[in-house]
Amino acid sequence: MSTAILDHVGFNLPKGYARRALPGFLTLIAMVLILLVCGTIQPRIWSQNGLTLIMSPIVALAIASMAQMVMMSIGDIDLGIGFFVGMITTIVATLLRETPMLGVLALAGSVLAYALLGALVQLRSVPSLIATLGASFVWLGLGLFVLPVPGGAAPDWLFKYAFWKPPLSIPAPVVTMVVATALTWFVTRRTGLGVKFRSLGSNPVALMRSGGSLVVTRMLAYGTVGILGVLSGITLTAEIGGGDVNAVPGYTLTTVAAVILGGGMFTGGRAVAWGTLAGAVTLGLLTVLLTLLNLSSNLQPAVQGFIVIAVLAGRLVVERMTR
Amino acid sequence: MLTHTSATTPAIAAGREPLVQVRRAVKTYGPTKALSGVTLDVHAGEVFGVVGHNGAGKSTLMRVLSGLDAIDSGSVQIGGVSTPSERGFPGVRMAYQEGSLALELTVYENIYLSSKSWIPDRRWHGAASRRAMARLDEIFPDHVVGPADYVDDLTLADRQMVEISRATIADDLRLLILDEPTESLSGSAVDHLYDYVRKLRASGHAIILVSHRLREVLSVCDRVAVMKDGAVVSTHAAGSVTEQDLFLAMGGEVAIQKTGNGARPTATDSSRPVCVKVPMTTVDGAATQIVAHKGEVIGLAGIAGQGQEQVLDRLWRRNGDVQASAALAYVPGDRQRSGILPLWDVARNLTIAALPSLSKNGIRQTEKENALVAEWVERLKIRGGASAAITGLSGGNQQKVIVARAFASDADTILLDDPFRGVDVHTKAELYQLIKSEAQKGRTIIWYSSENSEMQHCDRAFVLRAGRVAGELHGRDISDERIISLSFAEAREAHA
Amino acid sequence: MIKLRNHSIPPWTWSFLAAVIVLVLTYMVSGRGGSQTITLAFTVAPYLVLVGLGQMLVMSAGPGNIDVSVAKVFSLGGLVAIAVGDVTGSWVLGLGASVGVGLAMASISVVSILYVRIPPIVATLATSLIASAISLTLAKGFQGSADPVLKSFLSWAPFGIPAFAIVVLLFTILVSLILKKTTWGSQMLAFGQARRAAEYAGVNAKETIVIVYLTSGVLAALAGALRASFSAPNVELGNDYLLDSIAVVVIGGTLMSGGRAVPAGVWGGALFFILLDGLLNLIGWSYAGQNVLKGFLVLAVLFLASGAPILSRRVSQPTTDAGNDEDEAEPEIKSLS
Repeated sequence: MSTAILDHVGFNLPKGYARRALPGFLTLIAMVLILLVCGTIQPRIWSQNGLTLIMSPIVALAIASMAQMVMMSIGDIDLGIGFFVGMITTIVATLLRETPMLGVLALAGSVLAYALLGALVQLRSVPSLIATLGASFVWLGLGLFVLPVPGGAAPDWLFKYAFWKPPLSIPAPVVTMVVATALTWFVTRRTGLGVKFRSLGSNPVALMRSGGSLVVTRMLAYGTVGILGVLSGITLTAEIGGGDVNAVPGYTLTTVAAVILGGGMFTGGRAVAWGTLAGAVTLGLLTVLLTLLNLSSNLQPAVQGFIVIAVLAGRLVVERMTR
Repeated sequence: MLTHTSATTPAIAAGREPLVQVRRAVKTYGPTKALSGVTLDVHAGEVFGVVGHNGAGKSTLMRVLSGLDAIDSGSVQIGGVSTPSERGFPGVRMAYQEGSLALELTVYENIYLSSKSWIPDRRWHGAASRRAMARLDEIFPDHVVGPADYVDDLTLADRQMVEISRATIADDLRLLILDEPTESLSGSAVDHLYDYVRKLRASGHAIILVSHRLREVLSVCDRVAVMKDGAVVSTHAAGSVTEQDLFLAMGGEVAIQKTGNGARPTATDSSRPVCVKVPMTTVDGAATQIVAHKGEVIGLAGIAGQGQEQVLDRLWRRNGDVQASAALAYVPGDRQRSGILPLWDVARNLTIAALPSLSKNGIRQTEKENALVAEWVERLKIRGGASAAITGLSGGNQQKVIVARAFASDADTILLDDPFRGVDVHTKAELYQLIKSEAQKGRTIIWYSSENSEMQHCDRAFVLRAGRVAGELHGRDISDERIISLSFAEAREAHA
Repeated sequence: MIKLRNHSIPPWTWSFLAAVIVLVLTYMVSGRGGSQTITLAFTVAPYLVLVGLGQMLVMSAGPGNIDVSVAKVFSLGGLVAIAVGDVTGSWVLGLGASVGVGLAMASISVVSILYVRIPPIVATLATSLIASAISLTLAKGFQGSADPVLKSFLSWAPFGIPAFAIVVLLFTILVSLILKKTTWGSQMLAFGQARRAAEYAGVNAKETIVIVYLTSGVLAALAGALRASFSAPNVELGNDYLLDSIAVVVIGGTLMSGGRAVPAGVWGGALFFILLDGLLNLIGWSYAGQNVLKGFLVLAVLFLASGAPILSRRVSQPTTDAGNDEDEAEPEIKSLS
């Protein structure tokens, strides 16, 4: 979208800002529309309890989408995020609850494992696609090792969080999602580290020429993805009340879709935290909408698939028209 | 043959130790010797120009000076330091021709990335923005770049301005290297840049300017070094040489050694069918055409990157308005990326384009393939043999295979995309012969070359400037001087 | 750096060697029925090999090419084949229907890749979502069982060698011949090595992409159809096949970056994986442990096999002064595509 239009209106946005913010903005509109439709069908949504009810399953997805966004900002993709988040729930529901120290160590170890994966990808030029796919075997196995069948229980403090009612009738899930998004946005868009991440994704040569280390940057990025994955797993444990490594295998695809809807690119360099949030919530609300419309939830994956293709096709058309 | 003219400038006369001292620097990449023994000095308070043909070693030398590559033998000393750290030599900054900016970052983020050491960690957004704008305002007062603009959305000219500013933002700057800095700039921006360069010189910095724009080089530099075949062949005081002198020094040898043009008909043989027709515009805005008849060798000349590749691309993709014969073959210039098939041997690399014509019902006919390979290996004397891995061959021999690939196919029009860059002289001679004999057999050749001397092998040559036709030369008229004057003349007008 | 390209040792050697080692270990552990293990392995392997061959073709077409829809298309193929076979009474039509479904699903991927310019990973991801939705819808209230004739053929193992394995073995040989002896085979492998170079040599990019992805879709669906006929159709039937197909292709010696396809290696990889599963079951490793081990194996192979000179640090070949020197001696960064 050319900013020339906005110039006429008197805005003086930096060049390229509008083009990057537009997809997320459109997704935000879609999100609001879907919410309104849901609210029309089921007015009981419009209460702190109601909103909490429909939003709380989306929190873990939103945070996992943040993780995927960080991955895509460095030009990689994480095909194992679903099993990683599932594995984390097993750790939280057992180790963290029973022996907190061990639990914390295990979580820290998971983050470290992600960083090592990043090193593998960088040092051995392994495509992240396949490396994370291989890692997903490991996450699945470890998760099954900790909890062969779904079980365990959320720790007390997490249990309390699930019932937390923030003031001003703001639904708790909204608070959590906004905080997580704000943090991710801050790290990726306001810190020097974020600049390095995006440089790695956009033009690694620039990063190298400025004296940055590609390995260290990639490891830190993967570590960040790990941290966000852990947070997602923690919130998911609160949601399902226990641990289950097979809880969300579909996250892989859905988080990629969320980032795309938010304006992210596969070629790296772009970090669109708020847009990704809108994308995740939109996709999450789609499930709610399908349920309210009494359409089979079997259709949900197809709708997601179509949306991804449609959004990208639309973007291609827009780009052809304006560039 | 020009050698060293007296090149004393005030900086040298001041008698201080040179800031940059290079002695017999040698750098080899695999089988190619990029630097064959470079010796030069650059003094603080001096603008030093480096000119040379494609393949002369300028880029490699700059990479060495900026600390990106280490030499194999000889010595490089900048400011007394002989071994660069991972950040390069202290005080040395380079403005690259391309590829140094992250497109998805904003201007100030790129500045921060590049000049972190001199920007405070806290509240760096404001500091980086201010420094970026301050420098941009200082060098290019007419710019329209904002600090939060995303680099991807800037014009090429704006990007170049940002890149140059980026390079200068270093508190310990002593040597600034500018690599073709005005390639994307125009008009007043060029003048502003050189004003800034003079300012830097006055405050005691050293500047190295690498450029093919000889007029600009002579106008701003104190001394100019001419590079050829990986070494500095002569150094001159800018005031005492002309552009022609420089150009002859770059490739004077080849210019004298004109290959026999008399054998080729100088008049266009319009009795033969037209194989290629590309609608173009002249530099004056008139409509014209690049036309090639069967059996002609047509050259596309001019300074590298002035639209020649676009013509080839239009032909290859058979854009609507272009007329080209049915069977086309393409010889790419960048053999690493667009040429060799690295997992295969010479034979398979050679036959790939010819496979459809050699096979029967889609099944490969190995005897025919082997025969074809043997024929071409023999004909071009491809050293290494048919079953050698292509990656084991020297650059020149690899290029022979790539060229053979195109000619071995059944194409009747061959497009050459500056394929002889960086190829050794002997190989080139063999390949020129190939082109001539294939043309005599009735093949049409469209040949883009960044080396003007090669155009003498053509029947006709079109000199391009900024995507337009600056002139058409026939037969004996094709000479370095004429090509230069047609390509450089336009540059003069643009800056008038 | 271990180079995969080694003129004296064929690339598929390591996978078969690994399979043999596992077989020996199995024999040592179980002490009996070595031939039983082999028969079982050859009964189950062909389905994985079929999917693996499709994946191999896709990956050989160049870096970034991958088909992550195979798992869901596999399951869908199974459901469609049984459903159609049941309704029409002909297992041939059932298989034909599954081929059609495979083509349809792959077409979605192809259109997305070629015309919407979506990277293959995402395009096939989207296709898998659509296939999944169709499977779930079909599975509701699904009635139908495998054709007994087909089922008995798939279980038939004269002299302990499953007949179906022979069929797939012959097919593998056919694929190998196509890759070696046809113009298309060479063109596709050229395309996988250096896309631009191949295009300049006259290879049609669109054609190549279309053929490999359609083939992968058909093979995945057909394999699912046969697998469902061997046991029973199920929405989850293909779940393991995504990771497994990629793993066996990689372990079998096919280059992830494209340009070298090793059909024999797919067999080696498949047998290795299946025998490994068997061995681990035998020594009591849980399904969990198996997954962890598999994952580590894949990562280990990636660690060892990658970094071949062509892939990572580009050997410093100078491009010349006319620009483009940014990739000299600077590591090539592998990203999404």
